[in-house]
Amino acid sequence: MAGILIFAETDAGAILPNFWEQVAAARTLAPQLGSVSVAALGWQIKTDEALRSGAEAVYVLEDERLTEPWPDAHLSALESLCHELHPAMIVMPRTTLGMEVAARLAFRLGGALAQDAMTLQLADDALTITRPVAGGAASATVRLNRAPWIVVPRSGAFTPAEPGAEASAKVVSVQPSISDAALKTRCVSRARQEGETISLERARVIISGGRGLDGPEPFQLLHRIADAIGGAVGASRPPCDSGWVPTSYQIGLTGKMVSPEVYIAVGISGATQHTTGCSSARTIVAINTDKDAPIFRMATYGVVGDWKEVLPAFHAALADRG
Amino acid sequence: MRIIVCIKQVFDPLTPVNALTIDSDRKKILGSAYTPPVINGYDEQALEAALRIKENWPGGECEIVALSLGERFKLDVMKKALAVGADELVLVDDAAFDTADSVFIARALAAAIHRLGGADLVLCGRQASDWDNAQAPLLLGEMLGWPCLTLARRVEVRNGRVEVERVLSDGSQVMESNLPAVVTVTSELGELRFPPARARLQVARRRPKEMTLKELNVEIGSPAAEVIDVSLLKVERECQYIGGANGAEAGRRLAETLIDAGLISPNGG
Repeated sequence: MAGILIFAETDAGAILPNFWEQVAAARTLAPQLGSVSVAALGWQIKTDEALRSGAEAVYVLEDERLTEPWPDAHLSALESLCHELHPAMIVMPRTTLGMEVAARLAFRLGGALAQDAMTLQLADDALTITRPVAGGAASATVRLNRAPWIVVPRSGAFTPAEPGAEASAKVVSVQPSISDAALKTRCVSRARQEGETISLERARVIISGGRGLDGPEPFQLLHRIADAIGGAVGASRPPCDSGWVPTSYQIGLTGKMVSPEVYIAVGISGATQHTTGCSSARTIVAINTDKDAPIFRMATYGVVGDWKEVLPAFHAALADRG
Repeated sequence: MRIIVCIKQVFDPLTPVNALTIDSDRKKILGSAYTPPVINGYDEQALEAALRIKENWPGGECEIVALSLGERFKLDVMKKALAVGADELVLVDDAAFDTADSVFIARALAAAIHRLGGADLVLCGRQASDWDNAQAPLLLGEMLGWPCLTLARRVEVRNGRVEVERVLSDGSQVMESNLPAVVTVTSELGELRFPPARARLQVARRRPKEMTLKELNVEIGSPAAEVIDVSLLKVERECQYIGGANGAEAGRRLAETLIDAGLISPNGG
């Protein structure tokens, strides 16, 4: 086993932005493990960016069944490729598909999995990683005793690499091996959430609502404020579970990991499950009626008060200064 | 129809970080002695999914078995599964199950499921709130050779097939497979129903079925991924509180403070 393989997940042919964090993670161990290759799986893939990642080779696996985030199909194709390439380390994206395929791939290859890796260290033939556990309340150091090592870098832990000027990688087109027997599940339909104007992962300012908002309507005010300051709207888990906002709004362990400049938490108590997804924000602003809410312990600015009074005045003040 | 729901006893995830301690010898996070453990939240939702299937099952011939591997079970906590409507509760108590080794847990679950006579559907929570591994159900599917459908917010069984609506970061996806299958459930499915008072009294007299690790005949090997250290993460910042005569004044001052500090721009930039 040698070298590093990066699984580049695609959506509608485009490689997901997580890819550049995967490249950054791979580069930390490239001096020890050797060459970096990319496996792009999907249908009608736009490879241009991957070719400028500094990778030696980009394996392009195209099949119509790789259009949807279908774990069985991706796992089957990736497993076959790994049996040919024998990479020592496989770097997966922290996405729904990536995390699921990672666990099953590690099992099938007889290797070990490191999810949510914050740091990577290779010594004495073992890879040691650190990762948050218990909803972000604790950090575990995990040693991977068996290769290949399947690694999912935590979002925000590795500064995304920049595409190089030259498309230096060679393209290797591979017919994906997806056996019918491997497809134990079937995709019936897919629904996409529309209307997310500014992606949470890239927003400079995020204003998020929690259980304290007590219904879907207050999120409209959050949207008006977000529009005024050029930000995005997020939520903690309860509003998503209650259907006040779509799941795509969720920030936290089981949602998105964000690291904006400013994070404004409204009616969010600050359960670690949520704060693990926003704790890397440079400035956290908390608005909550409960002065003992844990969110104030990680906030730079806080208002102890009812959002029903605080937010409309906050919004009006923006208009006055605008 | 036979559904096995895998449930795990965990320390209460709402325990404040400063009430948690680390057992540095055993590399484990210990919950607060003052806060009772709970059934992992996502596992409760898996149980709710099972109850909904049973409610709509023609003729009602649907059996729900709640299965848990763990140690030092709090019976009154675990019996909640019976109180809400599971037909049987099976506990396998062994110190070896207090581990982050998902491969071992999945092997033991597979063995326990076989020993219980198999199932048409195995429901699990998407992940447990202690280690956040999210692996055991996927590995269980691999080991049993069954299809695995994940992150379901809706689970329906009909004509020997299971259909789930799966939550994706940008929407959802409907997927299906034949039975038997493993399905993981996410929080969007909804909370576990509250057990009726009468049922809570009735289960006080019921005993869970007990199995031992020895009966499962699963070896404890060296884990592929081994936790070698654990530490608590405490994020502490000095919060500058912004007040006012009322909430509105505080809100206006907050906006002005953030604008003056250059943190937000009222012109959307």
